[in-house]
Amino acid sequence: MRKLTTALLAGLVVTAGAGAAFAADKTEISVSRFFGACEADYGTVTDVTKANGECGIITALTNKFNAESTTTVVKPEIVEWPGYDQLTARIRSGEPPVISVMHEAVISDYSSRGLLEPLDDDFAKAGIDINDMTDAARQGVSKDGKIYAMPFDTHTWLWHINLNLFKQAGLLDEAGKPILPKSTDELFKQAEQFKEKTGKPYFISTLANETAFYTRTFDTLLYQQNADFFADPNKVNFSSPEAKTAAQLLADIYSKDLTTKNQDYAASVSSFAAGEGGVFICGTWLIDSYFQESKKEGVALSNGYAATAFPQIYPGSPRVWADGHSWVLLKQDLTDAQRASAIEFMKFLWDNNYEWARTGHLPIRKSIIDSAEFKGLPYRADIASLAINGTALPSAVKRQFSIQDIEGEEVGSAMRGDKTIDAALTDAETRINELLANAK
Amino acid sequence: MAASEHIVGRGIGNKLILFTVVLVAVIWMLPIAWAVILSFKSNAELMISTGSAFHPPYTIKNYADIFQTSGVFRWLWNSTVVSVGVTAGILILSSLAGYGFARAEFKGRDVIFVLVLLGLAVPEQAVIIARHQMFSDLKMHNTYPAIILPGLSSAFGVFLMTQYFKAIPKDIDEAAMLDNASRFKIFWKVLLPLTIPAQATLGIFSFLGAWNDYLWPLISATKPEMFTITVGIASTQTNFAQSEGLGFLMAQAVFAGLPVFIVYLFFQKYIVRAVAGAAIS
Repeated sequence: MRKLTTALLAGLVVTAGAGAAFAADKTEISVSRFFGACEADYGTVTDVTKANGECGIITALTNKFNAESTTTVVKPEIVEWPGYDQLTARIRSGEPPVISVMHEAVISDYSSRGLLEPLDDDFAKAGIDINDMTDAARQGVSKDGKIYAMPFDTHTWLWHINLNLFKQAGLLDEAGKPILPKSTDELFKQAEQFKEKTGKPYFISTLANETAFYTRTFDTLLYQQNADFFADPNKVNFSSPEAKTAAQLLADIYSKDLTTKNQDYAASVSSFAAGEGGVFICGTWLIDSYFQESKKEGVALSNGYAATAFPQIYPGSPRVWADGHSWVLLKQDLTDAQRASAIEFMKFLWDNNYEWARTGHLPIRKSIIDSAEFKGLPYRADIASLAINGTALPSAVKRQFSIQDIEGEEVGSAMRGDKTIDAALTDAETRINELLANAK
Repeated sequence: MAASEHIVGRGIGNKLILFTVVLVAVIWMLPIAWAVILSFKSNAELMISTGSAFHPPYTIKNYADIFQTSGVFRWLWNSTVVSVGVTAGILILSSLAGYGFARAEFKGRDVIFVLVLLGLAVPEQAVIIARHQMFSDLKMHNTYPAIILPGLSSAFGVFLMTQYFKAIPKDIDEAAMLDNASRFKIFWKVLLPLTIPAQATLGIFSFLGAWNDYLWPLISATKPEMFTITVGIASTQTNFAQSEGLGFLMAQAVFAGLPVFIVYLFFQKYIVRAVAGAAIS
């Protein structure tokens, strides 16, 4: 018995020692990200198919990578969204993470100051075929002809639709698909019909406490009219007839009470789930939540939810606002092993891009978009075109987050009638151009 | 007759005041009560409607999830070290400075005092970039001193202690001097004990300020192992916490506020006395 105990103890010591030595042989890299922490639910999950939501899937992906890699350990460093103040502070203090998540709209602010590593050669060596990237993704991570990030998703603006209310309003076709407007006249006609039949507004909109709705919808309406409002990346042009047309459309929707008013993001998300309107213009990330809700019995969305691409209501183009999450390699004194580990992790995320697409975001690989697996996910066949039509601001435009805030504030003023449309567009143009004139 | 009417009138007046005070207190408490109730509801239910907060089922999962976040106890410890460090530092420095401004005669005293008071008018945001660069050059970020040191320059603390020392009659100093007490002994043994109510007030406000501080720790303590509880808790929020993680968000808020609530429970006597004293004076 004593010998057995001794042997067991010796075995444990050897195993622990070997484990420690094995762990010590691995290269640790820090990966800074948002998406939250969910260790309680997914802290030990390595089967990614069992994870859901942004936080769950990225946590499980990281767990899986750490379990499978023989050379690398990823140490997640989780920050509050969007985390750029903290990232900038870390760069200034000389302690940046090895990898950081970054919106594609922000990359130019960092790449233009030489803070990011170009990745073309690393991707080629790692076998990442950049020709498999979607146009939206490739445009989003390319700056001055170089690739500065591993794209992770494309997220765009789309229409979440309450089919039960659409049915009540007589806006379903024989196949049970929603009848969507193809022009502004049709939009107002259908919206009035919806309001008359259901007593509810056609749109649910996030009009309070944030600017995203205004900017993203306005940009989409400009794209649909083929308005090139950033022909010069250092100057915005909102003096065009197309800009006035788009702002007028939003103002009319508001003044004719075709949308909910005074709702912030959380209120509008709940409002749609509670069946208080027909169309919620919001992002790809809500698809899965509403799909789950539609599977319940006795709720407003029971068997009556659809997500569809933003309908083209102007004859120009089906393009729609888009941005994307990506992973960047911060410039610093990395060892060869650290750099190799960083690329290994990026390659892993590239290989597992389908799993991330289950969040509702669009994949960044053409091969995944074309796959039966992806198209088999709910509503994805209806929105796959967004990966082509999703359009970001030109990559040379700096301070895109700040520009979007200003644009949203002014377009919001025009929509609500706080300012005349001309005054709001002039103010937006002036403020953005002042910002860009001072952007280094 | 007139006297009894006066007493009755005064009674009604008191009740009216009491009713108003209770009403205001209840209104003030509502957001806190709302946060507590929401913290016991599942995220999925709240995403559909916050009206579900008024009926079961309730859950403690949100709190359990907080405790399963690996860094949370480390963040609590960091916040404790920082808050205690800042509080102790402010009390020591403000007491010494306050005594100096109130009792010591030296050239330029009034000018320096005004300069200190000007510090009250300078917001943290105005100096935070320069301060961050200074600590970067010293390679001190992600250390306790980097989080604590900027908080020690408390213009309010110096002002409060100066005023408090000034209010203590100089006769007490003179009596001690007649007994051959040194200046430090007079400060330490005689005057400092008389300032305990002010010290308690300053200590409590300093502790609360340091505990709740967010901006400076956000950009100085950037490694997860050095996060304070405010930064750490914020980092665990999902991107759409207000809609998809509301229960967890509220549980985090309640959890982060609990230590402060406990501090208040222990020191409420001093807080009430200090506020009442300030009102009377």
